[in-house]
Amino acid sequence: MVPPARTPLRVDRLRALNLPSSVEVSLDEWGRPTTIVEEPELPADRRTDGPTDRQRRVDEVVEEWRIDDEWWRTPIHRRYFEVVLEGGAHVVLFEDLVSGEWFLQRP
Amino acid sequence: MPSQRTHLFLAPGYFRDIFGSRRWSWHVRGRHDSSGPPDRRGGVVVRGWRSDHAVCLWIPNFPLRAEEARRPHLADRPTALLAPEDTRRIWQTSPLARRQGVQSGLTVSQAIGLCPTLALIEPDPVFYDERFATLLLRLEDVSPVVEPAELGRAYVGVDGLEGLHGGPERVVEIIAEAAADRRTDGPPRLGWGRGKFTAWVAATRAQPGAPIIVTDDERAAFLRAQPLGALPLDPDNYRRLQQLGLKTLGDLAALPEAAVIAQFGREGKAAWRLASGLRDEPVQGRARPQPIVASLDYPSPVADRGMLAHTIGVLIEHALRDPRRTGWRVQTVRVRAALEQGASWLIEVMLKEPAALRERIHAPLLAHLERTPPTGAVESLAVEFTAFARGTDELQLFAQDAAAAARAGRRKALRVAAREIQNRLKRSMLYRVIEVQPWSRLPERRYALIAFEP
Repeated sequence: MVPPARTPLRVDRLRALNLPSSVEVSLDEWGRPTTIVEEPELPADRRTDGPTDRQRRVDEVVEEWRIDDEWWRTPIHRRYFEVVLEGGAHVVLFEDLVSGEWFLQRP
Repeated sequence: MPSQRTHLFLAPGYFRDIFGSRRWSWHVRGRHDSSGPPDRRGGVVVRGWRSDHAVCLWIPNFPLRAEEARRPHLADRPTALLAPEDTRRIWQTSPLARRQGVQSGLTVSQAIGLCPTLALIEPDPVFYDERFATLLLRLEDVSPVVEPAELGRAYVGVDGLEGLHGGPERVVEIIAEAAADRRTDGPPRLGWGRGKFTAWVAATRAQPGAPIIVTDDERAAFLRAQPLGALPLDPDNYRRLQQLGLKTLGDLAALPEAAVIAQFGREGKAAWRLASGLRDEPVQGRARPQPIVASLDYPSPVADRGMLAHTIGVLIEHALRDPRRTGWRVQTVRVRAALEQGASWLIEVMLKEPAALRERIHAPLLAHLERTPPTGAVESLAVEFTAFARGTDELQLFAQDAAAAARAGRRKALRVAAREIQNRLKRSMLYRVIEVQPWSRLPERRYALIAFEP
């Protein structure tokens, strides 16, 4: 049998794009994000009272939705927020409802 | 000023109007003697140079004007140029044709129906491209920072030129003089301002021969008063902004940035920043190849003309294979020779048609060699390509226009560069974005990177 001429796609050479990165999020009374800190907070002895450089205010929540998927293998339950940060950056935040962790992604 | 000093040192040829060509050319020879021959305009790589202040030069309907200049008998007739990608449709029209209702986008039969005396012109994109390249070269005599935008529109970086010429008015005048071509129909429109956007808007408001200068102090007020149509927006977003009751750039700038971003995304952000005068968009100098040199030292001096002609041919072939030449045609070629007893010989040919084929470059050099042969035996011979034009001869046989040929040339250059990186680093550091599950609701599953293997 003649093998297919097409070069096989090697899955091991793929690198995922736009992987979610861990983020700390403060919420308002309705559970919507108000500020984010892109890296884990500094140790207590080095922490200051004011906002850190990595802390950014959420100017506007543009959209909110929820995804419940893949219940037949590892279930995915996420609550997404598309937000505009101070300075105009457009990002997507989501809460992993299984682990309770927050993540940041590009839209 | 540092920028002025940089211009004077790196790009002397551009200022020969001010200092006189003889004095300047002597200076260039002095600098280049150790590394190679002097270069008149192709030898300087203009890469990464930028200028905050710009003059926008705009010649509307540039291709049609080029055709009318080539065929003066059409000047008093209604004319229309056919679209290069679809010759059944009208691309550009003369004022006489417009007066009779002929507009771009109409089919040929519709246009003839409206104006039976209409003269239709077949498009010649390579001619327009070459004509525009000549205009850019003339502008580069004034400033080394020239950025083409489209046929008939270019930005000239003017930072530092005030010190040489004195004031924006004089700088604009000099640019107008440099761009002037007796064969074109009327002077170009010119606008001076900080950043490309301000200069472009000023040029669109200017009348031919009456440039508009927008100083830094006047910029905010000037932009505020301009209509929304000046912004580079897609038609849908433009219509939405109009539906919101916005008429001028000032109306848009008065809105909160976050609200505009939330409604219009990235394009909205760019538009808001342009309207507010917060985005400057400096002029970026063009990247052009350095001179390409191929040389040969004879083991013993040669006086035989046949041998010299053969060597020139071989050196041309060698220089054409240089990867830096890919995507460019040779415009100017020179041959220099070191003769016995310290004398030298030099011929230079500017090709009527830029070429990338050995025969086309070789023939005029041979004619020169017959006419003015070296005065002694030749010890070493060098062929240099010193000025270039975009595109390649071979590709133009198939390409619709010179731009397509240049794109194909760049793709080829990319393949060569990728292969070289892989050879040096033993693994590919270049990646291509591929779609994995573009429909996925999880953003991280939509796209992935894979090694780029040309």
